[in-house]
Amino acid sequence: MAWIVKPSATTTIPRRDKPYLTDKMKKHYRAEIIPRYERPQGALMPILHDVQHDHGHIPYQAMVEIAQLLEIHPADVLDTVSFYEEYTTEPVGKYVVGVCQSIACEVCGHQTILDHLRRKLEIEPHETTKDGRFTLLAMECLGACEGAPCALVNGDRHDNLTIESLDALLDALPD
Amino acid sequence: MPVTEPVLCHRIPTPPWGDPADRHLVTYDEYVKSGGYQALKMALDMKPAEIVDAVKESQLRGRGGAGFPCGLKWTFLPEPDGGRRYLAVNCDEAEPGTFKDRLLCDFDPHLVLEGIAITCHACRLDTAYFFIRGEYHHQAETVQRAIDEAYEAGIFGNKKGILGKGDLSIECYLHRGAGAYICGEETGLLEAVEGKRGWPRVKPPFPAVSGLFGRPTIVNNVETLAAVTPIVLNGAEWFTKMGCDSSIGGPPSYGPKLMGVSGHVNKPGVYEVDLGIPLRKLVDDFAGGMRGGKAYKGAIAGGVSMGILGPDQFDAEMDFDIGRKYDVMGLGTACPTIFDEDTDMVAVARNIARFFKNESCGQCTPCREGAQWIYKLLCRIESGEATSKDLDLLLEIAGSMGIMPGTTICGLADGNNWAVRTIVNKYRSEFESRVKPYFVPVTMGAG
Ligand SMILES: Cc1cc2nc3c(=O)[nH]c(=O)nc-3n(C[C@H](O)[C@H](O)[C@H](O)COP(=O)(O)O)c2cc1C
Ligand code: SF4
Ligand code: FES
Repeated sequence: MAWIVKPSATTTIPRRDKPYLTDKMKKHYRAEIIPRYERPQGALMPILHDVQHDHGHIPYQAMVEIAQLLEIHPADVLDTVSFYEEYTTEPVGKYVVGVCQSIACEVCGHQTILDHLRRKLEIEPHETTKDGRFTLLAMECLGACEGAPCALVNGDRHDNLTIESLDALLDALPD
Repeated sequence: MPVTEPVLCHRIPTPPWGDPADRHLVTYDEYVKSGGYQALKMALDMKPAEIVDAVKESQLRGRGGAGFPCGLKWTFLPEPDGGRRYLAVNCDEAEPGTFKDRLLCDFDPHLVLEGIAITCHACRLDTAYFFIRGEYHHQAETVQRAIDEAYEAGIFGNKKGILGKGDLSIECYLHRGAGAYICGEETGLLEAVEGKRGWPRVKPPFPAVSGLFGRPTIVNNVETLAAVTPIVLNGAEWFTKMGCDSSIGGPPSYGPKLMGVSGHVNKPGVYEVDLGIPLRKLVDDFAGGMRGGKAYKGAIAGGVSMGILGPDQFDAEMDFDIGRKYDVMGLGTACPTIFDEDTDMVAVARNIARFFKNESCGQCTPCREGAQWIYKLLCRIESGEATSKDLDLLLEIAGSMGIMPGTTICGLADGNNWAVRTIVNKYRSEFESRVKPYFVPVTMGAG
């Protein structure tokens, strides 16, 4: 739900001494990514993807650093972060399991898959297990309806899921 | 003349011509060896206006959902003024039921890149952004690799011109989305490329005049651009021999079309067929018939936004007339999801309503609030708690949302409107059997 607003300006943001954007990253962005766009803010989504990937979320301090790099307001960064589902302000689990719940998957049995995961991981969709290993998501159409029901596990898609194939898949994930 | 050999699936084994098990990523070398980039070379020998004319003559209509004539859109561009001009490639493909563009990205990305280069040459565009949805991780990698190959081959980033010819040097960048359906809407997409939230813009101005960073921009779907390549190679007339004319005096539906069939069929998948193929033929001859020999009950026409083809509309022709003939919004992405006799249509409507509730960008009140109401009402109907009055309320709210009623900025709300209304109208008895009668309370006053 893209339009739900995240914590307001009264939030104090956790800080650490080590910057999230290293000099090497900044150099790369200045040389390779920012020039691709007529305005620096164009580079925001590619940079956010990197931070989300490296840290499992987008810390507020990183947003401030990105804003400085792109010479925009931190609020502009938060605005974009809060809109897109793939960016999170809280850490996600080591493995993000996103089950498709859209129409082709629902009529081909996605509920069995989702219910099994809820029992197995003991969490509801959009929660993370206490050990930080799994985040469960109910996602909208993954563009793989011919393989319904399907799910993404850290970006890799798995089609025609059954309880057995899902168990085999999750149990084989490295620690 | 129907599609007698694969056009867009020329290098992607697809039934009846090939076995999907043989599919593999076509690299630059293999693409060139099998005739790739010939069309680009021909295009570079043509005047840009000649290419635009050829695409106009082919009457190619946009494959992204709206079916807008591609050549005509290109003519909306102003004359070059020395400033930047953009192409935005729409590979958001987040419409539930749709998975056709993914096939091209997975296996033959150079077909799309060739179309991009030709389009940039024809329309004098210097930068292309290949916008791909965030969930397409693997596809983003294959497309990026293909873009790198095209840079090495001197197609992109060549200061001496495309393949060393002409005066135009084009850049092509991949831009990944991050999980928002609304970025498929062309101006939502532009906002995302600018690094902002994907809020669709009020139109006019249209992107061709003022798009990315306020500059002239053409937005085209991946499959539309892929179709430009064979049109240049074989000519416009060749293209018009595939597909069909309009049976109701409208503009024709020419060319081959990728149709992705999903749901209760034996062989779900993407097939390349003539526009105008009856849905029943698509299901029986291509998708292996109904799963388990069950009877057909209904089908999403082409992505959930288009609404539903009812029980008596299995023979609907899949062309751009479909909206006017069968009471759906349109052909959409031409990717039907098929339902068998056991499907609960109330659940289908509820599923689709949840999708629109989740994906409304929230700018327009009728869409944002309406989507919530519709979802809640459908949940209530599904659980048996609703009265017949709720059904009327549902139709009233749905009917009031969208660009067509004139209450919203973009077409997402129209999709919600059509999906809900067509399902309720075409399966009315199923909904009525789930609601309790509504009695108007009457109090008898004494005097
Ligand atoms: C809510 C909404 C979602 C859309 N999603 C897509 C999409 O995922 N892919 C796409 O190509 N077009 C999508 N469109 C259509 C685009 O706005 C636009 O018409 C299309 O990209 C133009 O390309 P074409 O003329 O080549 O079809 C969407 C439109 C709306 C209103
Ligand atoms: S119609 Fe809905 S999705 Fe489109 S701009 Fe308005 S609120 Fe956003
Ligand atoms: S509906 Fe699940 S992938 Fe499309």
